[in-house]
Amino acid sequence: MAAKKLRRARLSQELCERLSRHQIITCQDFLCLSLLELMKVTGQSYHDVQKLLCKVSRACAPKMQTAYEMKLRKSVNPSSAFLSTTLHSLDKVLHGGVPCGSLTEITSPPGCGKTQFCIMVSVLATLPVSMGGLDGAVIYIDTESAFSAERLIEIAGNRFPTYFDSDEKLYCMTRSVHLYRELTCDSVLKRIMSLEEEIISKKVKLIIIDSVASVVRKEFDTQLQGNLAERSNFLARGASVLKYLAEEFSIPVILTNQITTSLSNGLVIQADLVSPADDLSLSEGASGSGKRESGCVTAALGNTWSHSVNTRLILQYHDLPTRQLLVAKSPVAPFSAFFYTIEKSGLVLQDGKDQTNLTLEGMNPALQTIRVRNTALKDTLLDAALPSTTGLLYCWSESRGGPRS
Amino acid sequence: MQRDLGSLPLAPALRARLVAAGFQTVQELLETGPCGLSKEIGISKEEALEALQVVRQECHGDAARTAGGSGATRKCTALELLEEEQAQGFIITFCSALDNILGGGVQLTKITEICGAPGVGKTQLCMQLAVDVQIPECFGGVAGEAVFIDTEGSFMVDRVVDIATACVQHCQLIAEAHQEEDNLKALETFSLESILSHIYYFRCRDYTELLAQVYLLPDFLSEHSKVRLVVVDGIAFPFRHDFEDLSLRTRLLNGLAQQLIIVANDHKSALQEGKEHSSTFRLGSAIGLAAESVPSLLP
Repeated sequence: MAAKKLRRARLSQELCERLSRHQIITCQDFLCLSLLELMKVTGQSYHDVQKLLCKVSRACAPKMQTAYEMKLRKSVNPSSAFLSTTLHSLDKVLHGGVPCGSLTEITSPPGCGKTQFCIMVSVLATLPVSMGGLDGAVIYIDTESAFSAERLIEIAGNRFPTYFDSDEKLYCMTRSVHLYRELTCDSVLKRIMSLEEEIISKKVKLIIIDSVASVVRKEFDTQLQGNLAERSNFLARGASVLKYLAEEFSIPVILTNQITTSLSNGLVIQADLVSPADDLSLSEGASGSGKRESGCVTAALGNTWSHSVNTRLILQYHDLPTRQLLVAKSPVAPFSAFFYTIEKSGLVLQDGKDQTNLTLEGMNPALQTIRVRNTALKDTLLDAALPSTTGLLYCWSESRGGPRS
Repeated sequence: MQRDLGSLPLAPALRARLVAAGFQTVQELLETGPCGLSKEIGISKEEALEALQVVRQECHGDAARTAGGSGATRKCTALELLEEEQAQGFIITFCSALDNILGGGVQLTKITEICGAPGVGKTQLCMQLAVDVQIPECFGGVAGEAVFIDTEGSFMVDRVVDIATACVQHCQLIAEAHQEEDNLKALETFSLESILSHIYYFRCRDYTELLAQVYLLPDFLSEHSKVRLVVVDGIAFPFRHDFEDLSLRTRLLNGLAQQLIIVANDHKSALQEGKEHSSTFRLGSAIGLAAESVPSLLP
């Protein structure tokens, strides 16, 4: 809307020509000027310029809808407002499942199950509406080369054995999952920009990006001057395009994120520093003097990103093999925690397991502390101040095909 | 009458010609009739007449102002202002602690800014206020409508349905306890449907749409005269990226704030801005300063 040319805003031809001589071509340029500047540039009187301003504003202002109309539209198609995750307690808390039309983020330490969750949700999206799916294609943008088609088939076969009873049904499902491997920030952004046409032509009902953090952290070193602003810029631009796609087509968008360490004493650690602002936030139990565990582990990519996503789910280690899923930020759900394990059929919630030890309370989703594997193992030999390297060790020792031990 | 020509809202080209022809004050201009004017500076008679009418209107406004009547600048004593403020309603939230801190509720004709970290509840509060502004007067509300300008896309209708249902139930409980006729009558029109139909929602995807919408706000409010609350959820969000020219951004934000103040005062409504938590690095603090210096009317 901002790039709408003034010509199409029903301004007279000669006025448009006059404005273009001053490099004012789009509505955006017009609205950024003050009234006096506009008077000078258009050569018209104060009142006429005000009328022009109203005309141009009307050309780019959004359409009004009442909340009632929005509700009616949603209730016409109730099943399409959410994508059920088939994890019943989670769906209940989220009022149906992963919401359509907004961004959902999954954050966790390496090896907790982000990619497993994404693969499981891809299967769910291809199911017909009667089974809780969206009956559509999936676009999976993979930046870590972590997607495994064999695992996709394994999950499908084990989770819905009655539906996927023939090979043909399995192949049909795999045909609807479109995988794109992008390895740089630029290519990811270009791919996101080009998605609009693909969504329409392939009848896509789910977009997954796994993961945003890996490309961004590879390319932007926040300690170099200027990189922090560029990184925020890239993230914000990506987020606004994804939000536009999610809202326009009413589909869910799932993104995955990594973790970082935020320290209270400003110590620099590898490339894990998120932003100076997170530095200044005090982490619990931080004395700072020589103690190795003086930081806390939180979601990466900083505050701007935390604002941009609408729902944030955090996966963390509990005691192996059980892990925990937290609903850290959601417009409809309160802070909740669930236990789960990873089985052949994907994620399985442990219903009825000791949910009473919920002494956790929700806090700022950007600073919510996350338990990594070494704190769960209480292994003091490992260097806790360098979670990224230990994370990498665990990463390489995992296989992508089966459940974790 | 001795007012200088340069201060009149005439087109720049016309003004340049008048100055070149030697006119300096309004008096001189009014003495020359439209025909004389058109001959001297070489414009058509219609244009000359138009210019003279604009000038006369300005002078009339000036005279009215100096005589102490009502014009663009209001003059009143502090006592009148006090009485006006006390007679105004507040937007109550049914959360007594919050209403107490705010001195009765969210004030009308003032801008209230809500800032906070992500996930702390800014959008929730904004949605609640959009419902609470519609509470009928017999329950203590202002019985108005709400405009919701959303830049982040976090407005969830389902959540508003939850909040509205709870509010209607709360009012029903009050009505049952007190059994007054007014309350029961008001409850007939205060239903989920009516609440939702009186929340006017605009989704602005970038700062241009936000600017455009705020320019059109006065017209919209004169058409919908019952609106008592304007919520802008995420005033900082569209300005946080894609802005190399920081001074332009400051100017646009200030301009926005000024216009919102005008709207609040003229239309007797309350304005809410949900602002994000501004972090301490340069990008955030620029917004923090601009947006906080203007709403100095925070309770």
